[in-house]
Amino acid sequence: MIAIDEPTISDVHAVVEEVWTSFLGSDEPIQIGASTETTSLVDRLMLDDDTWTAAITVTGAWEAMILISVPVPAAGLITVGMLGLDPAEAETCGLEDLTDALGELVNIVGGGVKSLMPGPSALSLPLVAQGAITSTSNLEEVCAVDLTWHGHPIRVSIDVPRTTHGIGG
Amino acid sequence: MTPGGTDGPDVISETNFGFVADLLRRETAMLCERGKEYLVEARLLPLARQAGDPDVDHYVDRLRRDAGERARAVDALTINETSWFRDLAPYQAFVDDVLPRLLAARVDTRRLTIWSAACSSGQEAYSLAMLLDEHLPAGWTARIHATDVSPTMVERVRAGRYSQVEMNRGMPATRLVKYFQRVGSEWEVQPQLRTMVTTQVMNLAAPLPPLPTFDVVLLRNVLIYFDHATKQSILDRVQATIAEDGFLMLGSTETTLDLETTWTRESAGPAGRVVLHRPRHGRAVSRPFPDSSSPAASPHLTLRTGA
Amino acid sequence: MHALIIDDSRTMRSILKRIVHEIGFETTEAANGQEALDVLEAGLVPDLCLIDWNMPLMDGYTFVTRVRADERWRSMTLMMVTTESEHGQIVRALAAGAHEYVIKPFTADAIVEKLELLGLAVREVPA
Repeated sequence: MIAIDEPTISDVHAVVEEVWTSFLGSDEPIQIGASTETTSLVDRLMLDDDTWTAAITVTGAWEAMILISVPVPAAGLITVGMLGLDPAEAETCGLEDLTDALGELVNIVGGGVKSLMPGPSALSLPLVAQGAITSTSNLEEVCAVDLTWHGHPIRVSIDVPRTTHGIGG
Repeated sequence: MTPGGTDGPDVISETNFGFVADLLRRETAMLCERGKEYLVEARLLPLARQAGDPDVDHYVDRLRRDAGERARAVDALTINETSWFRDLAPYQAFVDDVLPRLLAARVDTRRLTIWSAACSSGQEAYSLAMLLDEHLPAGWTARIHATDVSPTMVERVRAGRYSQVEMNRGMPATRLVKYFQRVGSEWEVQPQLRTMVTTQVMNLAAPLPPLPTFDVVLLRNVLIYFDHATKQSILDRVQATIAEDGFLMLGSTETTLDLETTWTRESAGPAGRVVLHRPRHGRAVSRPFPDSSSPAASPHLTLRTGA
Repeated sequence: MHALIIDDSRTMRSILKRIVHEIGFETTEAANGQEALDVLEAGLVPDLCLIDWNMPLMDGYTFVTRVRADERWRSMTLMMVTTESEHGQIVRALAAGAHEYVIKPFTADAIVEKLELLGLAVREVPA
């Protein structure tokens, strides 16, 4: 038996791009690869309050946690974009709007990623937090896509349980 | 929906729009008239950003010196965003009006041959294949010949794979689960439909290769992008491939130009809104091509202007 | 025409609301299947329900099953709008009585085209 524990980066990128184009328009494409300022930001992503993280878990035939990390300004742009608000409100949009928009974003990306893997499996309800989201279970990152949107670093990563990953023979 | 795209009126300059229009006309014979500035802007802005240009005007400057980028721009301008069962009514007319008459007329051969001309990524061809799968009596066969000037598009039809976003566009859920299966992030059309569809790279604005006689030709939302003379020559060439009792279906805003002499029209479909064009007996007098030295014309261009 | 939009995400309800408003629908919102049932029990019979799958309290699949079991709501058109995209799940939703199925992400055109299929929207066809 060959266990495939993670989707490919290009499939994940395709999913993310479809979500972005559908809900945030194609004028400003989300591009694969880190922006020049990304490296330092990515290093800070897991630690910093400058970052919002949205997460959703998949359970069933495939088990994983899918995370999207975005810097605060990008979170604002995502929120006004999805809610159809004036971009000028990006910095002042309410916390409830922001968490709801990011939660729906990870829900849709998570659904797309789940569909890449053998089913059946189920999605949890999303979680959104400022800073990092850490699972109490023993997860390890198996796939990460670094993207740039409006000059901001966006990171989509997939964690799977350590116990199943790599055991495939 | 592009809620993010609410920037100010960042409109392409008149000179640069003229350059893009000329480029399109030269490369594809497609017309890009004034009033389409917003469309050019919308299609080129993502490319401009990718190339590192601040706006479309800077990007057009780049186009003036970079042939590779010009090819990308032409591709982006001619992308056909299309739906399954696009406009619905023509497909209803196909099932309700066209098919019953062909079933009566072809009872000897029990074979139908259909041409999806300028097929783009194949939604029209496979939509027809689904309808034929559902409506053809046992013992009948059908072939749908899907052609496009773009080798990339023809390859997509052959692959029969569509993204999630493409599948959402007008595909009834019952047919989605009946005719498609998931492959990674995409959906793949079932082999039973794929075997009905043949493909070929073909330029409608140039002399046609040898083709079978077609019972139905669909040439929808293509002619509007060509000038009058090119339209006329395409219609003549297409007519020569249609059976005497066959049908031509155009887009809802398109007409055959010289109705009286070479075509007859019939109303069909819901509320008679669909026009079926039928070759007149005696056929068109073949006329010379307007200018055989004109650059390769690209008939799949269906810049969507509405919706 | 009236649409009941059932999704636990306010963002998604807002997106759907804008799309159906454009084509002349009035809308009512519910944040889960139970809330939607309460709206129906209170007497609203919308022409259309747009239904998410994964929601707290009552999911969209259960909502469809409950609505289909009740004569009062026979006339309503039920369209799932969900991120669930497994082949088997679409089959299940259709078998439970959903009329159409849209997978997130979608564009406004996709929603309108589906409503055209369902006879709930008519696109202007030039004469």
